[in-house]
Amino acid sequence: MEDQYGRPLEGPKVGWDIPKATVRAWALLRRAAFFTNYVVAFLLILTLNFVLPRLMPGDPFQAIYGQEALLAMTPQLKAQLIERLSLDQSMGQQFVAYILALVQGDLGYSYYYNQQVLTVILDFLPWTLLLMGTALVLSTLAGLVLGIESGYRRGRSLDKALLASLMFLNGFPDFFMGIVLLLFFGVVFGVVPLSGALTPYSGLEGLALVRDILHHLLAPLAALVLVRVTSPYLLTRNTMITTLRENFVMTARSKGCTEGQIKYRHAGRNSLLPVVTSTGLMVPQMITGALFVEIVFTYPGVGWLLYNSLLTRDYPLIQGILLMVTLAVLLANLLVDLLYLKIDPRVSDAR
Amino acid sequence: MHVDVWHEVGERNVGRAGLLLIGLIVLLAIFAPVLTPYSPRENTSTQAFSRPSADHWLGTNDARQDIWTQLLYGARTSLSVGFGVALLSGFISVLVGGTAAIFGGLYDRFWMRIVDATIAIPDVVVIILVAAYLRPNVLLMILLLSALSWPGGARVIRAQTLTLKERMHVSAARTFGAGWSHLLFRHIVPDLAPVLVAIMIQDARRAVFMEAGLSFLGISDPSVMSWGKMMQYARVFTYLEVWKWWLLPTGLALSSTLIGLSFTGYALESALDPRLRDRDDHAEGGV
Repeated sequence: MEDQYGRPLEGPKVGWDIPKATVRAWALLRRAAFFTNYVVAFLLILTLNFVLPRLMPGDPFQAIYGQEALLAMTPQLKAQLIERLSLDQSMGQQFVAYILALVQGDLGYSYYYNQQVLTVILDFLPWTLLLMGTALVLSTLAGLVLGIESGYRRGRSLDKALLASLMFLNGFPDFFMGIVLLLFFGVVFGVVPLSGALTPYSGLEGLALVRDILHHLLAPLAALVLVRVTSPYLLTRNTMITTLRENFVMTARSKGCTEGQIKYRHAGRNSLLPVVTSTGLMVPQMITGALFVEIVFTYPGVGWLLYNSLLTRDYPLIQGILLMVTLAVLLANLLVDLLYLKIDPRVSDAR
Repeated sequence: MHVDVWHEVGERNVGRAGLLLIGLIVLLAIFAPVLTPYSPRENTSTQAFSRPSADHWLGTNDARQDIWTQLLYGARTSLSVGFGVALLSGFISVLVGGTAAIFGGLYDRFWMRIVDATIAIPDVVVIILVAAYLRPNVLLMILLLSALSWPGGARVIRAQTLTLKERMHVSAARTFGAGWSHLLFRHIVPDLAPVLVAIMIQDARRAVFMEAGLSFLGISDPSVMSWGKMMQYARVFTYLEVWKWWLLPTGLALSSTLIGLSFTGYALESALDPRLRDRDDHAEGGV
C-alpha cells in the first residue's frame, strides 16, 4: 500500500505478532486521514469568512452587513443582530456563535433580497446545476470520444487538426467565448435568445417549456463545452497513446478484434480512470467558467447572483455563496475519491 | 538518455507558435509608448465611437479614448500580473515542495496536508470575497493569485525532488555537510529547471486569465488599464457596431496571450514526458 504520493505508508509491519484489531484500527485511521483534507479546507474557508469582515477597520457591524443595509436599520433591529452575532463579546465567543448559527443552516440575512441567504441561494441554484451538470457531462463525453479517435490516429491529419483546433479553443477565456457566441448567434444572426433562462411570462407548459429552456441553455452551454473539452481530450489522447503500445492491445489485434473493439473496449477503457479523476478536479474550474458565462448571458444562476451581490455589496450573500460553493467543490472531490475506489481495483485491493 | 528539452520546444511547431505569440505581445507591451502617440486615458479630440482610421487604428470608445492605446497598455497589466505570479508562486512551490521532500517526516506531512486542502478551495470565489473587502490593486492581485496557485506546483516539485534527492551529486553534497538551502538551490533546482518553467508557465496562464476575468467583473485596480476592464465597458455597447473594433480585438489579444502560454507549456510538457516523446515524433516533425 502506498499513500497518494506514491510513498510506502509506514505503519505496523503486518507479521505474526500483530493482532488483527490493530491492523483494522490502522486502516480506519488511514481512512480518516483521507477525509482530513476536506475538513481542513472547509475550516480554512470558515475562518476566512469569519475573520475578514472582523479585521476591517471601523465598525465590524458595517463590514458584516454592508453599508447599504445600515440605512434600513432601526436601533432595535441593530441591537437584536448584535446580540445574535455576539458582537459585544470576545472573538472566541463570536466564533462559537458563528459556527452554531451555521450548523442550524443560518447563513445570515440578505438585505437586498430581504430573505434568508440560504433561501436566496437555493432559488438560483437549480439553473447553475443544470448548466454546469450538462456542461460537465457533455465535455467529458466529447473529450473521451475525440481523444480516443485522435490518439488512435496519432500523427495523422485528423489527429493534428483536432489537437491544434482544440488547443486553440482552450485558449479562449470562457467569458470571451460566451461574448463571441452571444454576438454572432444572438446579435448578428438572432438565432439564440440574448439573456435569461426562459421566456418570462410566456405561460409555456410541458414540452414547449422544456424546448424554451433548452433554447436558452444552448449558447451558454456551447461556450462552456467548447472551452472545457480540451482537458479531458488531451488526457484521453495521452493515455490512449501509451496504452496502444501495451501487449494486450497486440493480443487483441492478433486474435482478430475489430478496430472499434480495440479502440473502445480495450484501449479506450483505460482512459476512463484518469478522465473520471480529472472531471472531479474540473469542478472548481467549471464553477469559475459557469460564473463568467452566467454573467455574460444574464443566466439566473449562482454566478449571476454572486455578481449581483458584489454590485450591491450584499456581504452576507457573498459569504453564503462562498461557503456553498466550497461545500459543493469538496463534495464533488469526495465523490470522485469514492468513485475512484470503485473503478480502480488496485486502490481497493490494498485493504 | 539525455534530452535537450529547451531545444526540443523550439523544434516543435506548437512550441514555436507559442513562443512567437508571447514574444510579439511582450514587444508590443514594452514598446507601447513608441507605438502610439496617445496615453490610455487621454480624451482625444476625435468624436466618440469613431471607426478605425489612420489616426486611431481601432477607433475610439465612448469617452473619446484611443482603443489601440488602451490595448497596448492593457498588455502591460496582463503580462506583469502573469510574470509576477509565475515568479512568486514558483518560488513558494520550490521552497515548500523542495524542503518538504528534503526534510520529510512530520514537516512534510504538515505541508502536504496544507497543499491538499488549498487545492480543493475554489479560488475565484475566495478572491472575489477578499476583493470585496480590500481595495484591489496590482500588487494585492499578484499576492492573492500566488497564494492560491503555489500548492499545485509544490506537489510536483516535491515528487521530483524525492527522486533527485537520491542522485549521486546530491548525496555527495550532503556528505560534505551542505545545508538544505545549498542542496535545494545549488543541486536540485538546476535539475528541476524544465519542470519548474512548465509550472511557472501554467501559473502565469492562470494568472492572466484570472486577472482578466476579475477585472471583467469589476474587481480591478482603478488606476491601471486592463483587458478585462475594457471588455466590461465594451460589453454595454453591443447594440452599436463598435464591438467589431473594441470588444473583439481586446478579447482576441487576451486569447492570443493565453494561447501563446498554453502552446509553449504544452510543448514543454510533452518534451518532458518520456511516454509522449518517442522516435516517431521526430520522423514526423512533432505536432
